[in-house]
Amino acid sequence: MSKTILAVDDSGSLRQMVAFSLTTAGYKVVQAVDGVDGLNKAKDSVVDLVLTDQNMPNMDGLTLIQNLRGLSTYAKVPILMLTTESSDEMKAKGKAAGANGWLVKPFDPKRLIDVVHKVIGE
Amino acid sequence: MSMNTLPITELRSLLSAVSSHGRQHLVEVEADLKQTTDLLSEAIEKLGASFLAVHEAVMKQQEAITTLMLEHHMQNSELETLDAYKQQIGEEVNAAVTGLQFQDMTSQLITRTIRRINGLRDLLEELSLHGKDIAPEQEHAEIAKFLGEMNFSLTRQSNELSGGLRKQVSQENMQTGDIELF
Repeated sequence: MSKTILAVDDSGSLRQMVAFSLTTAGYKVVQAVDGVDGLNKAKDSVVDLVLTDQNMPNMDGLTLIQNLRGLSTYAKVPILMLTTESSDEMKAKGKAAGANGWLVKPFDPKRLIDVVHKVIGE
Repeated sequence: MSMNTLPITELRSLLSAVSSHGRQHLVEVEADLKQTTDLLSEAIEKLGASFLAVHEAVMKQQEAITTLMLEHHMQNSELETLDAYKQQIGEEVNAAVTGLQFQDMTSQLITRTIRRINGLRDLLEELSLHGKDIAPEQEHAEIAKFLGEMNFSLTRQSNELSGGLRKQVSQENMQTGDIELF
């Protein structure tokens, strides 16, 4: 059974490219338009990995991660940030919030899939 | 000829004109940027849809080629050629996926620019408000104090605007970003 990834990003084109890359690699992708939507979808059904943007309306990526880590079901689920942000300060904040990795946009599909394979344990 | 007072009426008029013309131009700049964002968004949506359709067609074509290869004996050189094409398609697909992410970054930059324009418009509004408060009968020293206060107010607002507009996009080209696992 294919594993499910929750892709959270307010950019439709970015979500489209993430979904394309991951479904081509055999994953099922659930899309969310911001942190609030992501949190609701994560609660609806526990996914195998969360890939989230940082700068989004309503709820940003760091807040989403903090909320997810507060749920017992998401204590061990890998969470990756995929963002334009690349400063060490933001990466440190991401790590403190509970992110497992930091990917700077734009992403290369092959490298994204390699990282997903690695953190998801395949 | 000596002047005991500043030409207040002219100064007030100048401040008001700078404020009014500046805000008028900024409204136009904001409208153009919003239109650019909409055009970019529509363009990337269509490009994305075309890309997915082309990819799906290529995948079906490759399936058909694989079937033909099983049915007909092919020379090794022909198989190698087909394999090279397949690899090239894969590389171009990856490059296209990377390229199609440009809209996300550009729209973030445009959003930041629009926020700065709105802040600048507020600054100009401040200029206009101060201009209204300057009365011709005020003494030179009081006017200087008033201008100093206006300068302080503008500087404070400008700093607040800059502080609230942290740059979120530092990319200057479409080279793929770094990956760091914690």
